[in-house]
Amino acid sequence: MIGVAQRLLKRRALAEEAVQDAFVLIWRHAARFDPQRGAGLTWIYAILRNRALSILRDEKRTETSEAPLGEEMASEEDDPETVMSKLSDAKALHACLETLPAQRRGLVLLAFVQGLTHGEIAGKLGLPIGSVKSWIRRSLIALKECLG
Amino acid sequence: MSPSLESAPDRDALAGEYVLGLVEGADRERLEQRIAREPALAASVETWRGHLAAIDATARPIPPSPGLWARIEAEIAGILPAAERGRAKALKAGGTLADWWNSLFIWRGAAFAGALAAILLAIGLNGALDRAKRQPVMVAVLLTDANVAAAVVNTYPDGRVEMVPLQNIAVPAGMALEIWTLWDRTVGPRSVGLIDRARTTPLRLDQLPLGTNQLFEITIEPATGSPTGRPTGPIVAKGNTAQAL
Repeated sequence: MIGVAQRLLKRRALAEEAVQDAFVLIWRHAARFDPQRGAGLTWIYAILRNRALSILRDEKRTETSEAPLGEEMASEEDDPETVMSKLSDAKALHACLETLPAQRRGLVLLAFVQGLTHGEIAGKLGLPIGSVKSWIRRSLIALKECLG
Repeated sequence: MSPSLESAPDRDALAGEYVLGLVEGADRERLEQRIAREPALAASVETWRGHLAAIDATARPIPPSPGLWARIEAEIAGILPAAERGRAKALKAGGTLADWWNSLFIWRGAAFAGALAAILLAIGLNGALDRAKRQPVMVAVLLTDANVAAAVVNTYPDGRVEMVPLQNIAVPAGMALEIWTLWDRTVGPRSVGLIDRARTTPLRLDQLPLGTNQLFEITIEPATGSPTGRPTGPIVAKGNTAQAL
Protein backbone atom coordinates (compact mmCIF):
# COMPACT_ATOMS: atom_id res chain seq x y z
CA MET A 1 0.00 0.00 0.00
CA ILE A 2 2.83 2.38 0.79
CA GLY A 3 4.35 1.57 -2.59
CA VAL A 4 1.15 2.60 -4.39
CA ALA A 5 0.83 5.77 -2.33
CA GLN A 6 4.45 6.66 -2.90
CA ARG A 7 4.07 6.36 -6.66
CA LEU A 8 1.34 8.94 -6.45
CA LEU A 9 2.81 11.19 -3.78
CA LYS A 10 6.56 10.68 -4.38
CA ARG A 11 7.42 11.55 -0.79
CA ARG A 12 7.65 8.81 1.76
CA ALA A 13 6.17 10.82 4.63
CA LEU A 14 3.12 11.79 2.58
CA ALA A 15 2.72 8.20 1.39
CA GLU A 16 2.61 6.99 4.98
CA GLU A 17 0.18 9.72 5.86
CA ALA A 18 -2.11 8.53 3.06
CA VAL A 19 -1.84 4.93 4.25
CA GLN A 20 -2.60 5.96 7.82
CA ASP A 21 -5.64 7.98 6.74
CA ALA A 22 -6.80 5.12 4.53
CA PHE A 23 -6.61 2.60 7.37
CA VAL A 24 -8.61 4.84 9.63
CA LEU A 25 -11.23 5.34 6.89
CA ILE A 26 -11.32 1.59 6.27
CA TRP A 27 -11.83 1.01 9.96
CA ARG A 28 -14.59 3.60 10.15
CA HIS A 29 -16.38 2.32 7.07
CA ALA A 30 -15.91 -1.42 7.51
CA ALA A 31 -19.65 -1.74 8.10
CA ARG A 32 -20.38 0.07 4.85
CA PHE A 33 -18.33 -2.33 2.74
CA ASP A 34 -20.60 -4.33 0.49
CA PRO A 35 -19.09 -7.60 -0.72
CA GLN A 36 -21.80 -7.81 -3.42
CA ARG A 37 -20.22 -4.85 -5.10
CA GLY A 38 -16.65 -5.96 -5.26
CA ALA A 39 -13.58 -7.49 -3.73
CA GLY A 40 -12.34 -6.27 -0.38
CA LEU A 41 -8.91 -5.51 -1.68
CA THR A 42 -10.09 -3.27 -4.52
CA TRP A 43 -12.21 -1.45 -1.98
CA ILE A 44 -9.19 -0.93 0.25
CA TYR A 45 -7.09 0.31 -2.63
CA ALA A 46 -9.86 2.59 -3.87
CA ILE A 47 -9.94 4.26 -0.46
CA LEU A 48 -6.16 4.54 -0.44
CA ARG A 49 -6.04 6.03 -3.94
CA ASN A 50 -8.79 8.51 -3.14
CA ARG A 51 -7.00 9.65 -0.06
CA ALA A 52 -3.61 9.84 -1.79
CA LEU A 53 -5.10 11.83 -4.69
CA SER A 54 -6.70 14.38 -2.40
CA ILE A 55 -3.42 14.80 -0.53
CA LEU A 56 -1.66 15.16 -3.88
CA ARG A 57 -4.08 17.83 -5.15
CA ASP A 58 -4.01 19.70 -1.82
CA GLU A 59 -0.23 19.65 -1.63
CA LYS A 60 0.05 20.94 -5.16
CA ARG A 61 -2.28 23.78 -4.34
CA THR A 62 -0.30 24.85 -1.30
CA GLU A 63 3.12 23.88 -2.60
CA THR A 64 5.60 26.71 -2.14
CA SER A 65 8.85 24.93 -2.86
CA GLU A 66 10.66 25.37 -6.17
CA ALA A 67 10.01 21.86 -7.39
CA PRO A 68 6.28 21.10 -7.67
CA LEU A 69 5.36 17.80 -6.12
CA GLY A 70 4.27 16.08 -9.33
CA GLU A 71 7.61 16.61 -11.02
CA GLU A 72 9.68 15.60 -8.07
CA MET A 73 11.62 12.36 -8.30
CA ALA A 74 9.25 10.73 -10.76
CA SER A 75 11.22 7.53 -10.50
CA GLU A 76 11.98 5.53 -13.62
CA GLU A 77 10.28 2.63 -11.94
CA ASP A 78 6.99 4.46 -12.34
CA ASP A 79 7.60 5.21 -15.96
CA PRO A 80 4.74 3.82 -18.14
CA GLU A 81 6.88 1.36 -20.10
CA THR A 82 8.56 0.03 -16.93
CA VAL A 83 5.17 -0.53 -15.41
CA MET A 84 4.10 -2.27 -18.63
CA SER A 85 7.02 -4.69 -18.37
CA LYS A 86 6.05 -5.54 -14.79
CA LEU A 87 2.47 -6.19 -15.84
CA SER A 88 3.25 -9.44 -17.61
CA ASP A 89 1.52 -11.37 -14.83
CA ALA A 90 -1.76 -9.66 -15.56
CA LYS A 91 -2.15 -11.15 -19.02
CA ALA A 92 -5.50 -9.69 -20.05
CA LEU A 93 -4.68 -6.14 -19.05
CA HIS A 94 -1.18 -6.38 -20.50
CA ALA A 95 -2.43 -7.73 -23.81
CA CYS A 96 -5.14 -5.08 -24.08
CA LEU A 97 -2.74 -2.26 -23.26
CA GLU A 98 -0.41 -3.68 -25.92
CA THR A 99 -3.09 -3.09 -28.55
CA LEU A 100 -2.93 0.65 -27.89
CA PRO A 101 -0.27 2.83 -29.49
CA ALA A 102 2.58 3.31 -26.98
CA GLN A 103 1.89 7.01 -26.50
CA ARG A 104 -1.80 6.55 -25.70
CA ARG A 105 -1.04 3.67 -23.39
CA GLY A 106 1.47 5.96 -21.67
CA LEU A 107 -1.21 8.58 -21.04
CA VAL A 108 -3.45 6.10 -19.26
CA LEU A 109 -0.60 4.74 -17.16
CA LEU A 110 0.71 8.18 -16.24
CA ALA A 111 -2.71 9.15 -14.94
CA PHE A 112 -3.17 5.98 -12.90
CA VAL A 113 0.34 5.37 -11.65
CA GLN A 114 1.51 8.91 -10.97
CA GLY A 115 -1.86 10.52 -10.39
CA LEU A 116 -1.29 13.19 -13.03
CA THR A 117 -4.19 15.32 -14.24
CA HIS A 118 -5.05 15.91 -17.90
CA GLY A 119 -3.24 19.25 -17.69
CA GLU A 120 -0.13 17.82 -16.08
CA ILE A 121 0.12 15.05 -18.66
CA ALA A 122 -0.28 17.60 -21.43
CA GLY A 123 2.46 19.76 -19.89
CA LYS A 124 4.80 16.88 -19.35
CA LEU A 125 4.50 15.53 -22.87
CA GLY A 126 4.07 18.87 -24.65
CA LEU A 127 0.68 17.93 -26.06
CA PRO A 128 -2.51 19.98 -26.32
CA ILE A 129 -4.78 19.25 -23.35
CA GLY A 130 -7.78 18.59 -25.62
CA SER A 131 -5.88 15.83 -27.41
CA VAL A 132 -4.82 14.29 -24.12
CA LYS A 133 -8.42 14.24 -22.94
CA SER A 134 -9.82 12.69 -26.08
CA TRP A 135 -6.98 10.17 -26.46
CA ILE A 136 -7.39 8.94 -22.92
CA ARG A 137 -11.11 8.68 -23.44
CA ARG A 138 -10.74 6.74 -26.65
CA SER A 139 -8.08 4.54 -25.09
CA LEU A 140 -10.45 3.71 -22.24
CA ILE A 141 -13.24 2.80 -24.63
CA ALA A 142 -10.86 0.56 -26.60
CA LEU A 143 -9.53 -1.01 -23.40
CA LYS A 144 -13.00 -1.68 -22.10
CA GLU A 145 -13.94 -3.34 -25.37
CA CYS A 146 -10.83 -5.49 -25.21
CA LEU A 147 -11.14 -6.41 -21.54
CA GLY A 148 -14.86 -7.03 -21.71
CA MET B 1 -26.20 15.15 -18.70
CA SER B 2 -29.02 12.71 -18.32
CA PRO B 3 -27.95 9.22 -17.37
CA SER B 4 -30.54 7.58 -19.58
CA LEU B 5 -29.14 9.28 -22.70
CA GLU B 6 -25.62 8.12 -22.00
CA SER B 7 -24.38 5.23 -24.12
CA ALA B 8 -22.64 2.29 -22.50
CA PRO B 9 -19.21 3.20 -23.97
CA ASP B 10 -19.62 6.77 -22.70
CA ARG B 11 -20.52 5.50 -19.28
CA ASP B 12 -17.56 3.13 -19.24
CA ALA B 13 -15.20 5.89 -20.38
CA LEU B 14 -16.47 8.16 -17.63
CA ALA B 15 -16.12 5.42 -15.02
CA GLY B 16 -12.61 4.73 -16.33
CA GLU B 17 -11.64 8.40 -16.08
CA TYR B 18 -12.96 8.44 -12.55
CA VAL B 19 -10.94 5.38 -11.53
CA LEU B 20 -7.83 6.84 -13.20
CA GLY B 21 -8.29 9.88 -10.97
CA LEU B 22 -8.99 12.27 -13.84
CA VAL B 23 -12.36 13.51 -12.62
CA GLU B 24 -11.75 16.32 -10.20
CA GLY B 25 -13.37 18.77 -7.85
CA ALA B 26 -17.09 19.41 -8.19
CA ASP B 27 -17.33 17.01 -11.16
CA ARG B 28 -15.96 14.29 -8.96
CA GLU B 29 -18.50 14.94 -6.21
CA ARG B 30 -21.37 14.94 -8.71
CA LEU B 31 -20.10 11.73 -10.23
CA GLU B 32 -19.79 10.05 -6.84
CA GLN B 33 -23.41 10.91 -6.13
CA ARG B 34 -24.37 9.35 -9.46
CA ILE B 35 -22.32 6.22 -8.68
CA ALA B 36 -24.22 5.85 -5.42
CA ARG B 37 -27.55 6.05 -7.31
CA GLU B 38 -26.81 4.22 -10.55
CA PRO B 39 -25.94 0.54 -10.28
CA ALA B 40 -24.73 0.33 -13.91
CA LEU B 41 -22.24 3.11 -13.34
CA ALA B 42 -21.16 1.64 -10.01
CA ALA B 43 -20.61 -1.74 -11.67
CA SER B 44 -18.51 -0.13 -14.38
CA VAL B 45 -16.38 1.65 -11.76
CA GLU B 46 -15.92 -1.63 -9.93
CA THR B 47 -14.90 -3.41 -13.15
CA TRP B 48 -12.29 -0.76 -13.89
CA ARG B 49 -10.94 -1.01 -10.37
CA GLY B 50 -10.66 -4.75 -10.74
CA HIS B 51 -8.79 -4.47 -14.06
CA LEU B 52 -6.47 -1.68 -12.98
CA ALA B 53 -5.67 -3.29 -9.62
CA ALA B 54 -3.03 -5.26 -11.51
CA ILE B 55 -1.16 -2.00 -12.06
CA ASP B 56 -1.18 -1.25 -8.34
CA ALA B 57 0.21 -4.72 -7.77
CA THR B 58 3.34 -3.72 -9.70
CA ALA B 59 4.25 -1.07 -7.12
CA ARG B 60 7.44 -1.81 -5.25
CA PRO B 61 6.52 -3.07 -1.77
CA ILE B 62 7.80 -0.63 0.83
CA PRO B 63 8.01 -1.72 4.46
CA PRO B 64 6.23 0.69 6.80
CA SER B 65 8.41 2.85 9.01
CA PRO B 66 8.56 1.67 12.63
CA GLY B 67 6.08 4.17 14.04
CA LEU B 68 3.34 3.77 11.42
CA TRP B 69 1.32 0.97 13.04
CA ALA B 70 1.49 2.68 16.40
CA ARG B 71 0.17 5.91 14.84
CA ILE B 72 -2.65 4.05 13.08
CA GLU B 73 -3.54 2.20 16.27
CA ALA B 74 -3.52 5.37 18.30
CA GLU B 75 -5.80 7.12 15.83
CA ILE B 76 -8.19 4.18 15.62
CA ALA B 77 -8.23 3.79 19.39
CA GLY B 78 -9.43 7.38 19.53
CA ILE B 79 -12.49 6.63 17.40
CA LEU B 80 -13.07 3.16 18.74
CA PRO B 81 -16.43 3.48 20.52
CA ALA B 82 -18.11 4.61 17.29
CA ALA B 83 -16.25 2.04 15.22
CA GLU B 84 -17.23 -0.76 17.57
CA ARG B 85 -20.86 0.02 16.93
CA GLY B 86 -20.23 -0.05 13.20
CA ARG B 87 -18.48 -3.35 13.47
CA ALA B 88 -21.27 -4.88 15.50
CA LYS B 89 -23.70 -3.70 12.84
CA ALA B 90 -21.60 -5.32 10.12
CA LEU B 91 -21.61 -8.61 11.98
CA LYS B 92 -25.34 -8.44 12.50
CA ALA B 93 -25.82 -7.77 8.80
CA GLY B 94 -25.00 -11.42 8.23
CA GLY B 95 -21.33 -12.24 8.18
CA THR B 96 -20.33 -9.30 6.04
CA LEU B 97 -16.86 -9.30 7.52
CA ALA B 98 -16.46 -13.00 6.92
CA ASP B 99 -17.41 -12.53 3.29
CA TRP B 100 -14.97 -9.71 3.10
CA TRP B 101 -12.24 -12.00 4.33
CA ASN B 102 -13.17 -14.66 1.83
CA SER B 103 -13.03 -12.22 -0.99
CA LEU B 104 -9.58 -11.17 0.20
CA PHE B 105 -8.34 -14.70 -0.17
CA ILE B 106 -9.87 -15.15 -3.59
CA TRP B 107 -8.11 -12.02 -4.63
CA ARG B 108 -4.75 -13.21 -3.44
CA GLY B 109 -3.60 -14.61 -6.76
CA ALA B 110 -3.92 -11.29 -8.54
CA ALA B 111 -2.37 -9.10 -5.92
CA PHE B 112 -0.48 -11.10 -3.40
CA ALA B 113 1.47 -8.17 -2.03
CA GLY B 114 -1.77 -6.32 -1.54
CA ALA B 115 -3.38 -9.23 0.27
CA LEU B 116 -0.40 -9.38 2.53
CA ALA B 117 -0.85 -5.70 3.28
CA ALA B 118 -4.51 -6.36 4.00
CA ILE B 119 -3.62 -9.14 6.39
CA LEU B 120 -1.17 -6.85 8.12
CA LEU B 121 -3.97 -4.36 8.23
CA ALA B 122 -6.25 -6.81 9.99
CA ILE B 123 -3.55 -7.61 12.49
CA GLY B 124 -3.01 -3.92 13.04
CA LEU B 125 -6.71 -3.32 13.58
CA ASN B 126 -7.13 -6.29 15.88
CA GLY B 127 -4.12 -5.11 17.80
CA ALA B 128 -5.76 -1.75 18.26
CA LEU B 129 -8.98 -3.38 19.35
CA ASP B 130 -7.17 -5.60 21.83
CA ARG B 131 -5.34 -2.63 23.13
CA ALA B 132 -8.60 -0.80 23.67
CA LYS B 133 -10.03 -3.81 25.49
CA ARG B 134 -6.95 -3.56 27.59
CA GLN B 135 -7.93 -0.08 28.71
CA PRO B 136 -8.77 -0.64 32.37
CA VAL B 137 -12.22 0.28 33.66
CA MET B 138 -11.06 0.63 37.23
CA VAL B 139 -7.68 1.21 38.74
CA ALA B 140 -6.42 0.91 42.30
CA VAL B 141 -3.07 2.42 43.18
CA LEU B 142 -1.57 0.53 46.10
CA LEU B 143 0.49 2.77 48.37
CA THR B 144 3.02 1.81 51.00
CA ASP B 145 2.68 3.32 54.48
CA ALA B 146 5.21 5.91 53.30
CA ASN B 147 2.65 6.87 50.60
CA VAL B 148 4.81 5.50 47.78
CA ALA B 149 2.94 3.84 44.91
CA ALA B 150 4.09 0.20 45.02
CA ALA B 151 1.65 -1.39 42.58
CA VAL B 152 -1.54 -0.82 40.58
CA VAL B 153 -4.49 -3.13 40.19
CA ASN B 154 -6.28 -2.81 36.84
CA THR B 155 -9.73 -4.21 36.10
CA TYR B 156 -10.84 -4.71 32.49
CA PRO B 157 -14.16 -4.75 30.61
CA ASP B 158 -13.94 -8.53 30.11
CA GLY B 159 -13.66 -9.14 33.86
CA ARG B 160 -9.92 -9.67 34.01
CA VAL B 161 -8.05 -8.10 36.90
CA GLU B 162 -4.30 -7.78 37.09
CA MET B 163 -1.75 -6.45 39.53
CA VAL B 164 1.25 -4.58 38.14
CA PRO B 165 4.09 -3.80 40.56
CA LEU B 166 5.64 -0.36 40.16
CA GLN B 167 8.74 -1.07 42.18
CA ASN B 168 10.65 -4.00 43.56
CA ILE B 169 9.22 -5.31 46.83
CA ALA B 170 11.62 -7.04 49.24
CA VAL B 171 10.35 -10.54 50.04
CA PRO B 172 12.17 -12.42 52.85
CA ALA B 173 13.37 -15.96 52.03
CA GLY B 174 10.61 -18.57 52.40
CA MET B 175 7.93 -15.90 52.18
CA ALA B 176 5.65 -14.68 49.40
CA LEU B 177 3.44 -11.75 48.49
CA GLU B 178 -0.27 -12.39 48.85
CA ILE B 179 -2.86 -10.08 47.32
CA TRP B 180 -6.20 -9.55 49.05
CA THR B 181 -9.38 -7.78 48.30
CA LEU B 182 -11.97 -6.48 50.74
CA TRP B 183 -15.41 -5.35 49.59
CA ASP B 184 -17.35 -5.94 52.80
CA ARG B 185 -15.92 -5.75 56.31
CA THR B 186 -18.42 -8.33 57.57
CA VAL B 187 -17.13 -10.86 55.00
CA GLY B 188 -13.49 -9.93 55.54
CA PRO B 189 -10.60 -9.94 53.05
CA ARG B 190 -10.30 -12.69 50.44
CA SER B 191 -7.06 -13.89 48.86
CA VAL B 192 -6.92 -13.24 45.11
CA GLY B 193 -3.28 -14.01 44.32
CA LEU B 194 0.00 -15.33 45.64
CA ILE B 195 3.37 -14.52 44.03
CA ASP B 196 6.93 -15.30 45.03
CA ARG B 197 8.22 -11.87 44.04
CA ALA B 198 6.92 -8.61 42.64
CA ARG B 199 5.76 -9.26 39.08
CA THR B 200 2.69 -8.59 36.96
CA THR B 201 0.12 -11.19 37.83
CA PRO B 202 -3.54 -11.89 37.00
CA LEU B 203 -5.79 -11.83 40.07
CA ARG B 204 -8.43 -14.52 40.55
CA LEU B 205 -11.60 -12.71 41.49
CA ASP B 206 -13.89 -15.29 39.86
CA GLN B 207 -17.20 -14.95 41.68
CA LEU B 208 -16.10 -12.19 44.02
CA PRO B 209 -17.79 -8.82 43.71
CA LEU B 210 -15.84 -5.98 42.17
CA GLY B 211 -16.75 -2.35 42.47
CA THR B 212 -15.36 1.09 43.02
CA ASN B 213 -13.80 1.95 46.30
CA GLN B 214 -12.95 -1.71 46.89
CA LEU B 215 -9.78 -2.33 48.87
CA PHE B 216 -6.82 -4.25 47.47
CA GLU B 217 -3.76 -4.93 49.59
CA ILE B 218 -0.51 -6.88 49.46
CA THR B 219 0.84 -8.62 52.55
CA ILE B 220 3.90 -10.73 53.28
CA GLU B 221 2.84 -14.32 53.94
CA PRO B 222 4.48 -17.76 54.06
CA ALA B 223 5.50 -19.13 50.63
CA THR B 224 2.40 -21.36 50.48
CA GLY B 225 0.06 -18.53 51.42
CA SER B 226 -1.54 -17.39 54.65
CA PRO B 227 -2.24 -20.43 56.86
CA THR B 228 -5.42 -18.86 58.23
CA GLY B 229 -6.98 -17.60 55.03
CA ARG B 230 -6.72 -14.11 56.49
CA PRO B 231 -3.81 -11.68 56.15
CA THR B 232 -1.30 -12.46 58.87
CA GLY B 233 1.86 -10.63 57.81
CA PRO B 234 2.75 -6.96 57.45
CA ILE B 235 0.92 -4.92 54.84
CA VAL B 236 3.23 -3.91 51.98
CA ALA B 237 0.79 -1.63 50.19
CA LYS B 238 -2.92 -0.98 49.88
CA GLY B 239 -5.35 1.12 47.90
CA ASN B 240 -8.95 1.42 46.71
CA THR B 241 -10.33 1.03 43.21
CA ALA B 242 -11.48 4.08 41.30
CA GLN B 243 -13.14 4.46 37.92
CA ALA B 244 -10.60 5.09 35.15
CA LEU B 245 -11.44 8.05 32.93
